[in-house]
Amino acid sequence: MSENKINRRDFLKLATVGVTVLAGSQFLRQPAAASEPGPSGGHKWVMVIDQAKCTGCGYCTLACRAHNDVSPDISWNVVTKTGQVDNQDVYLARPCMHCAHAPCVDVCPVHASISRPDGIVMMDYDRCIGCRYCEVACPYGARSFNWKEFDGPNPAVPEWGQPEIARRPRGVVEKCSFCFQRIDRGLALGLTPGLDQDATPACVVVCPVGARQFGDISDPDSNVSKLLRNRASYRLREELGTSPHVFYLPATEEPLS
Amino acid sequence: MKLIISLPKIKIPKITLPRITSWRIWAAMLSIFMAAGATCGVMVLWKGLSLTNLTDLVPWGLWITIDLCSIAVSAGAFSLCAVVYLLRMKRFQPVARTATFIGLIGYSMATMTLMLDIGRPDRFWHSLVYWNEHSLLWEVTMCVTLYLGVLLLETLPIFANIDWLRDRWPRLAGRMSQAHQLAPYLAIAGLALSMLHQSSLGALYGVLIARPLWYRPDISVLFIISAVASGMSLTVFASMLSAWLTRRASVDDHLLDRISQIIGWILVLYLYFRFWDAWSMNYTYQPGRTEGLHLLTDGPLSFNFWVGEILVGIIIPMILLLNKRTRALPLWRMLALLFVVGGVVAYRWDTNISGLMVVLSYLPGDPNISYASYHPSLIEFLVGGGIISYGLLAFSLGVRYLKVVNHYSTVVHVLQPESKAMEQLPVPAGD
Repeated sequence: MSENKINRRDFLKLATVGVTVLAGSQFLRQPAAASEPGPSGGHKWVMVIDQAKCTGCGYCTLACRAHNDVSPDISWNVVTKTGQVDNQDVYLARPCMHCAHAPCVDVCPVHASISRPDGIVMMDYDRCIGCRYCEVACPYGARSFNWKEFDGPNPAVPEWGQPEIARRPRGVVEKCSFCFQRIDRGLALGLTPGLDQDATPACVVVCPVGARQFGDISDPDSNVSKLLRNRASYRLREELGTSPHVFYLPATEEPLS
Repeated sequence: MKLIISLPKIKIPKITLPRITSWRIWAAMLSIFMAAGATCGVMVLWKGLSLTNLTDLVPWGLWITIDLCSIAVSAGAFSLCAVVYLLRMKRFQPVARTATFIGLIGYSMATMTLMLDIGRPDRFWHSLVYWNEHSLLWEVTMCVTLYLGVLLLETLPIFANIDWLRDRWPRLAGRMSQAHQLAPYLAIAGLALSMLHQSSLGALYGVLIARPLWYRPDISVLFIISAVASGMSLTVFASMLSAWLTRRASVDDHLLDRISQIIGWILVLYLYFRFWDAWSMNYTYQPGRTEGLHLLTDGPLSFNFWVGEILVGIIIPMILLLNKRTRALPLWRMLALLFVVGGVVAYRWDTNISGLMVVLSYLPGDPNISYASYHPSLIEFLVGGGIISYGLLAFSLGVRYLKVVNHYSTVVHVLQPESKAMEQLPVPAGD
């Protein structure tokens, strides 16, 4: 019996081996594909949405659906009527806020949501386990779960554009990505996101009244930097400290409370 | 030519119907529920979570509640093991043994529920490989996985009690019994892991700034206190019920009486924290939080809250368990313990659903609050029923065949065959 007894030393040995193996697995794991910096080049992408111009036509939502192959059950970009100013309806379009301090990135148990150095909050659809914690954590309701498979044709295609990224499988959470595929490809081709249409998010390109601007806020001379310097702007639920990368220019000149 | 046809003699076999016993009815009933649950589970894996009534507004529902509850009622395992091996109150060892077995069942229930509840069950291992140390859900997953391992080691000596295993592979059974030597170390590991994840299951809600009702540090404290109360309660209740129903279980009522008294004091602590937690939310208006609190105090969840959580869940059992006379009466004590478990189930359900029901708009201006609703679908109920039936059946089998409720057996863990006897036994190779 005594030779079978596990003594303290053996136990500690076993425990050490266990912990080492566990920690070692961390060095062996593959680096997250999407967490590689990519061509950020010191950019910080922001979107500016001018509520004074927005007419609530919803083209942005449709173009988004086509370019990102989003199911008709899901909207990455929701347009809501918020009120009236001078008998004119006022709308608020809500893409993903791409928060600098994104709650979804913190809570994801598997690093399927990550913050890119250029400010884009990215989803790794191959890694997401579909726990929906990010959905519960997002203060903006910007995330949607694929409750069922999106099969069959996309009604927004081809009228509103052609899909540029792979359709997401059933059981993962998805959201707006600032059309990262257009930005990354555009930069590789030497284009400037925000100025060159091919390198700019589809919702910005399609907007018939030019209510959306996209650009690099780390460049003081960019379109968005100038706009935000010259006009009063606000961000959604700023009190939470999430620091969104989407700015709104209010429809009224009156200061917002 | 003659054609001879010989007909075989038909023997009518004598059909003997198995005798109907209450045990067989119980086992058959649970098996039917399990079969229904398994069928629905396969349907969910095949068709996806669209079969549930969950939405993007209420993405966590009945299954998460079952998950939280089965982990909470398993807390008897770590707390009683700590009492036995760290506080060195060895006399409670047989009760800790029951609690450990319940723990193993509870955590396996939680694992099964989670596997169905996540959108991609095929990727369940991702959280073990791709670590996000900032995520409480990651921490919970790691702790639950590691603790499931601890529970398996802790219950090895119980499984070594299976008669045919001892006859067939006596050395294996001997080795399994020896895992008992690890018990003090396992108790430390179990305490550490459980203190972490039992609290984190609450903190998981408490860290979400998007949900003002949840966003407070108290939930983690409330979760661990209520888990210990409900875990100990279920252990004592299940032990008493088993001893009442079958001769295969025997209890030392003195031990259970002591633990019931401890549960009474834990309920005092729980009520104290619960009171200040709810009271402190009551004073200032905070969009979302106040509305959520009102859902509980005078909204659709008010019955659950006042009656289920507070009156039946805490106050009545607290009185029944602290009063020596009612505690001494088996029926009152069992009722009180059952109330504690029910109250904690109500608390878990309310915590999850109240935070999700209040939808705080992101639109600027006045706080714009709407309410989401959620009623579980039939499939969710059937799957939940199947998982609970599995737990009940597993425990019943444990009582029947593994003697998990047996306070008078002193040779629980030292079922080592004598070395001489072992030499005589045929030992299969490769063992």
